[in-house]
Amino acid sequence: MQLMFKYITSICFLFFVVKGYTQNQQKEISIDSKTDSVVYKTNYGLRLGVDISKPIMSQFNSTYSGFELVGDYRLSKTFYAAIEVGFEEETTLEDFTNSTSKGNYIRLGFNVNAYKNWLDMNNEIFVGYRYGFSLFDQTLNSYVPNVNTTYFPANTILTPITTNDLTAHWSELVFGFRAETFKNFFISVSGSYKILMNIKDPENFKSLYAPGFNRIFESGTGFGFNYTLTYLIPFQKK
Amino acid sequence: MKKIMLLLGVFLVLITSCEKDDYCIKNPVTPHLIVRFYDDSNRETLKGVDELYVWAAEKDSIFSNVKTDSISLPLNSNAPKTVYYFSNGTTVDSFTISYTPKEEFVSRSCGFKMTFEEVSFSSDSFWIKDFTPTTLTTIDSQNAAHVQIYH
Repeated sequence: MQLMFKYITSICFLFFVVKGYTQNQQKEISIDSKTDSVVYKTNYGLRLGVDISKPIMSQFNSTYSGFELVGDYRLSKTFYAAIEVGFEEETTLEDFTNSTSKGNYIRLGFNVNAYKNWLDMNNEIFVGYRYGFSLFDQTLNSYVPNVNTTYFPANTILTPITTNDLTAHWSELVFGFRAETFKNFFISVSGSYKILMNIKDPENFKSLYAPGFNRIFESGTGFGFNYTLTYLIPFQKK
Repeated sequence: MKKIMLLLGVFLVLITSCEKDDYCIKNPVTPHLIVRFYDDSNRETLKGVDELYVWAAEKDSIFSNVKTDSISLPLNSNAPKTVYYFSNGTTVDSFTISYTPKEEFVSRSCGFKMTFEEVSFSSDSFWIKDFTPTTLTTIDSQNAAHVQIYH
């Protein structure tokens, strides 16, 4: 409802400005007319928050737990420096293996806002880039060799094998939406496509999941999803 | 707000509707032992066994009264050897395969395969006259026959 009022008032505003302009033209034709547009100032500052999709997924999914803090800093009208740090633990269940990855990650990069806001609105349709780094452990909890015969069935091996200090480096492209719901309070939905640049695999096994990257597909790519709530600490208006 | 809710819904559907996307299409993952039967007097020509019975020690028959010149036999990955009994209908020969089983990771969907290293064959040679080779460094695929039996 509030949004509707904003739309209506802003449409009225548009007509008002146009009318004023034509009147000016007729009256003072020889005087240099200044630009008619009003500059609306928006807040610049540090925006901090959490990804709420991860704690929610942890509640409903017994094989996953995760937490992520997000932050960005507005550098110019459309350019934001962005950072995400988090922790994730996920158990990957496959037909022949059961493994758990857990560790920390950081993603650094920027967002560019491609959305032209009306008035003093501060919404975003953004695209961005991130460099991601993850430090994690992977444990092969159990596995059964794929012997493809029932004549000599293989035994399930239940001795866990842990490999520590695995690393992953990747690049990701981000696309998302952000809306200011209350003053300085934002909700954002974004998705990302990740391309693995370097990964350390356990010996005679493979890193199947990297925290911050998600499931690692055979082609070394992955997908991510963020649903964040953030609060802007305004430093200045411009 | 409505738009965002709709988008959120779409994302949710995208995420929760993810089906298992890779299946193990490599077949077989763990190699079987390929045995071919040749004529003992003319070692270049294949000679089928008219009435072949094959079973492993303390197991049911894996082949029963078949006429063939080529068989594939699974190897026991839990033991350092597999003992098979080959019968041509009248006589029984034992055929022992000794090896070191090793696990090798293949892929997410296929898991681990077994390879058999330092393979050696032995037989008590009643109706099996001879076989070649007597040792193999590894059995890690089944693109070709691993052992030729002459009878």
